[in-house]
Amino acid sequence: MRYLYLLRAMMKKNFLIIWRYPFNLTAGIISIMMIFLVIFYGAKFIGGSSPGFGNTLEGIVMGFMLWTFIIFAFSDLTWDFINEAQQGTLEQLYMSPLGFGWVSFSYILSFLVINLTITLGLFVLMMAVTGKWLHLDFLSLIPLMLLTVWGVYGFGFAMGGLALVFKQVQAVFQIFQFVWVALVIAASALETFPWAKFLPVTWGVHLIGRVLIGGQSLSAMPIADVVFLVLISAVYFLLGYAIFKRLERVARDRGLLGHY
Amino acid sequence: MAEPVLRVKNLKKIYRSRRRGETVAVDGVSFSVHKNEVVGLLGPNGAGKTTIIKSICTILLPTSGEIWVDGVDAIRNPRAALEKVTAVLEGNRNVYWRLTVRDNLEFFAGLQGQSLRSVKGYIDELIELFNLKEKVNEQARALSRGMQQKLAVACALVKRTPILLLDEPTLGLDVETSYELRWILKRMAERGERTILLSSHDMNVVQDICERVIIINHGKIVVDDKIENLQRLFTASAYRFEIAGHLTPQQQQKLTEQFDMIKISADGSRTIIEADLLDSRKVYEIIDVLRENGCQLESVGKQYPDLEEIFLRIVKGEKQ
Repeated sequence: MRYLYLLRAMMKKNFLIIWRYPFNLTAGIISIMMIFLVIFYGAKFIGGSSPGFGNTLEGIVMGFMLWTFIIFAFSDLTWDFINEAQQGTLEQLYMSPLGFGWVSFSYILSFLVINLTITLGLFVLMMAVTGKWLHLDFLSLIPLMLLTVWGVYGFGFAMGGLALVFKQVQAVFQIFQFVWVALVIAASALETFPWAKFLPVTWGVHLIGRVLIGGQSLSAMPIADVVFLVLISAVYFLLGYAIFKRLERVARDRGLLGHY
Repeated sequence: MAEPVLRVKNLKKIYRSRRRGETVAVDGVSFSVHKNEVVGLLGPNGAGKTTIIKSICTILLPTSGEIWVDGVDAIRNPRAALEKVTAVLEGNRNVYWRLTVRDNLEFFAGLQGQSLRSVKGYIDELIELFNLKEKVNEQARALSRGMQQKLAVACALVKRTPILLLDEPTLGLDVETSYELRWILKRMAERGERTILLSSHDMNVVQDICERVIIINHGKIVVDDKIENLQRLFTASAYRFEIAGHLTPQQQQKLTEQFDMIKISADGSRTIIEADLLDSRKVYEIIDVLRENGCQLESVGKQYPDLEEIFLRIVKGEKQ
């Protein structure tokens, strides 16, 4: 039960903090929407009315939604470790007897709920604005999104660990934003480059595409395809978490947890 | 005496950096704190106080040594140790500025794995005790620094650990808030509610709240004793001579040459000689020198140093 009390406290804290920064939240949503519209209408203008381009536009809607979701997940831990260190509360989080692992998990879970709500809300808005309605099978979509983003949290942990030790990690962070774009796009090239399915998120994006664009449901997918997604996400998550634990030890050894 | 609830044994912390090489922050420190004792940790900047406190609350890995918190090995089993100990590390920087006073208290109770129901009454008590009732629904960012600092201490108390570590709890506070916080800590100490290890530069705070002080210098303990013992010791050896008129440079030289621990100063038309004399027979020797030099002695007496003077004398190496 004590773990649930911590989870509840963390969720309440994070919801309240987001709610009390209304400008930040609104500005973020508006800017994401504007970037999306520029990309979508830019692509539509360049592609014109060539046959088959409709699928590409649907791919842009889906790809942008997933990229947003991935970026949210990736940035949450990194920025929040930095923010908590700046506020002087990171050391307090480390002093929980339930362990920093559970504290981080509670962090992730609370932001996952927030991000999923915002992303799916934006997704519906994107489809409404562009008129490109995809197959909204939430029962298939949400589990696949969660399994895909699981691996991304591994990268979030690794970056969070780097932030604990080196503090200024913004440059690496910017680069990763483009890496995620490339990986989302790579999902559409799996037939040409089958090895790309071993890259982070590509296989997950591919399966989500089969739901959203192809209309396939999760239950109709071969079990091996889903198991592969679980495995690949687990590998990246565990790898990232191991890096984090190593860097966390360095930070504790050098007394850097409270520095910013 | 009962088993100590906090035991630090041969604690050593060495920071290694390519640029600066090795820095020994804490060098083989050992001490114990008993249940409900309030102990002050004193030392100049960089002496190693914060390093010791952070090591005890497990957020800093010591290079070697042992830390036992209520029978738990804090280095091997930090999570179990954190059931027993918590800390306020940087005053007002330990709370969430966008959360209200009550939200903060509820969050930190949850962080310790406590249910809201079980802690609600205690949160109300703390709000009352820390005089935060009127601000209970205000966000922490809207509070004064003093109130934020009080909230930070309350957030540590809400975890209900038997041991509390406070690193400079009154730093930067105005006199009134400092007194208020001091009163709260003193009340807790008198009621035997918590075992407290407190680091501070404010000697008045330490003298007021603590029974015992541990003085650290250059990463080592130089004194670990009850404040009253230290005062007795320093009072026993500290003498003050008042002389009419001013001493000539020759007279001053003669005195400083003959006696090590001596300080001569002018006070209006008089001269004050403060001497630290472990052997009280030296008092007669000083009087002899003064007589030989034709000085008119007005009074001789014991000096009663406060903790600040004792601390300064110890740190400056005047007392070994």
